[in-house]
Parts: sequence; C-alpha cells; structure tokens
Amino acid sequence: MIGRRVALVVLLGLLAIPAAAYLYYSGPNAALLPGCLLHRLTGLHCAGCGMTRATYEAFHGNFGAAFRLNMLGAILFPIVLVLCGIQVFAWLRGKPFPSLSPAKWRLGWWMLGIILAFSVLRNIPAWPFTLFAPH
Amino acid sequence: MPADFMQWFYSKNNAQHGPVSLEELRNKIATGDVESTDLVWKEGMGDWTPVAKIAELASPGTAQTEAVSPPPPVPAYQQTPYQSPARMEVSPGESIPNYLWQSILVTILCCWPLGIPAIVFAAKVDKLKASGQIAEARAASAAAKKWTIIALVSGLVAIAIYIGITVLNFVHMQNQQNQIRGEYEQRIELPAPR
Repeated sequence: MIGRRVALVVLLGLLAIPAAAYLYYSGPNAALLPGCLLHRLTGLHCAGCGMTRATYEAFHGNFGAAFRLNMLGAILFPIVLVLCGIQVFAWLRGKPFPSLSPAKWRLGWWMLGIILAFSVLRNIPAWPFTLFAPH
Repeated sequence: MPADFMQWFYSKNNAQHGPVSLEELRNKIATGDVESTDLVWKEGMGDWTPVAKIAELASPGTAQTEAVSPPPPVPAYQQTPYQSPARMEVSPGESIPNYLWQSILVTILCCWPLGIPAIVFAAKVDKLKASGQIAEARAASAAAKKWTIIALVSGLVAIAIYIGITVLNFVHMQNQQNQIRGEYEQRIELPAPR
C-alpha cells in the first residue's frame, strides 16, 4: 500500500520535471502550453490567470514580474504547495497530519472570499483594479 | 472566562457523550458519574485523555471522588478507546481531512470555476466537526474531495484536448505544405523531360 503510494508520487514527480523544463526553456507562450480555456471562451480573468507566466518569471528569478502577473497566486501558490506537500508526505506515511489550527474552518471561508473577490476585482477595467489584471 | 464555554466530550462504556460545559463535566466528576480514569476530549486536544491527567478537571471535585471510591481500572473498557479513537463511530478526535489546500491548488492551477464548490465544502468540514456533526463533516469532506478531483480531472482533460488539437493542427499544416510543395514540384518537373 505505502510502496504503491511512493511509486505514484515519484512517477508524478518525474512527469512534472519535463513539464517544468519545457516551461523554463520554451517560455509561457509555447505552442504546447494550454492557455486558460475559460479565458479563451469568455475573456474573463479568473483567480489563476497569469499563473503560467508568473511561474515562468519566478523560474527565471523575476519575482517582481511574477507578483505583478498574479498578486494572490504569487503569495498563495508557494504556501499551498508546501502545505499540500506536507499532506502528501503524511499520506505517504499513512498517518494524517494533525490539524494546523483549531479555527481552521474560518480560514476556509476567508480563502473562498479572497479568491472570489480577487476574481471579480481583476476584471474591472479601471485603474486601481487593473493592477490585479495579468498584463 | 472562556474556559466555561469550552465544550467537553466524555467517553463512558465505549459510548461518547457530550458536548457539556466545563461546569457540567466537573459536576459529573464530583458525583462520580464520570470517573477519573474515564477519557475526555475537547476541541484542540490531540487525543482522548483520562480525567486524572487534566489539570483543569483534577480539581477538588476529583480528589473527593477518588477518596470515596478509588476507581478500579477495567481493562476491556479502558483499552478500546485508547487503541484507536478513530474507530469509534462518532469520535470528535477523529481526523477528517478537509482538502482545503488541495481545493485551493486546483482552483488556482486548473483555472476552473469547478474548484469553487470544492473550497466551499472544504471550508464547511472543520466547523461541522467542531460542532459534533460528524456525519455531516464526513459528507462535506467527501464532497470536497469529489469536487477537487472533478476540477483536477477536467483541467487535465482540457489540457490533453488542447495539446491534442495543437499536435493535429501541426500535422495538418505539415501535410498541406507537403501537398502544395508536391503540386508545385509536379508543375515544374512535368514539362522538363519534354
């Protein structure tokens, strides 16, 4: 059981390496990288819009550019990645990670509110809000 | 002050009771309803703990109880909750995954509105669990997991379709170019031998 989980995680990790290398060398506008389908269909910027470009910039050390492309994502993504990593590690050990804070349920609603508000605000085509848009 | 509002659960004959306030629990300890070897739990505690080991509860009331009747340890009863509190049908100490971080990850990465219901269900889990609605908390946890997977899979499918279309387009363009080149070469080459 545990061995199979380790194998799955290692396999996914190995798949992620060429994908990251492709992004690193070919740039965020490379042919094989899918743009956001939602953006293509509706023209809207969702909460994750600009993350591919931001990741590319971060890969090349341009953290300021990454932040400008997606303020929320640039802050939240590394945190979420680490926390998910911890949970994957706990899953591999077969022992759940103890809850991080007793008032975590409040955090969930805050996250939801922030993500939804960010999604709406970054689509408003007027000055202070255009700072949120991925341009 | 806030200690009075804390909700305690106690375990008696392998059945879980509560929530009760600290005052009520102290009364139960004083009357011998809850013995000092009985396991108690409240939100924030890592695991079920015997009454005797909790400073808040091992107050005058407990000392009295112990003086009246030194509680004999009942092995069969004491073992079960210790071995695996998670196995009990409704144990508030049980860990119910809320999938909050996973759902946020798919929302940011997969760029899908489908991640939103995942966060909604994830946000519900811990509150339901804290208020003792274990079955509801489990259901919300399962729903959060389901929507996280739906968002992830549909994101991956969209990416796969996109890459498929890109490759097909490339092949098609290649073919067209070859065809044009072929026709062009034919046009030039055909008259040449005559």
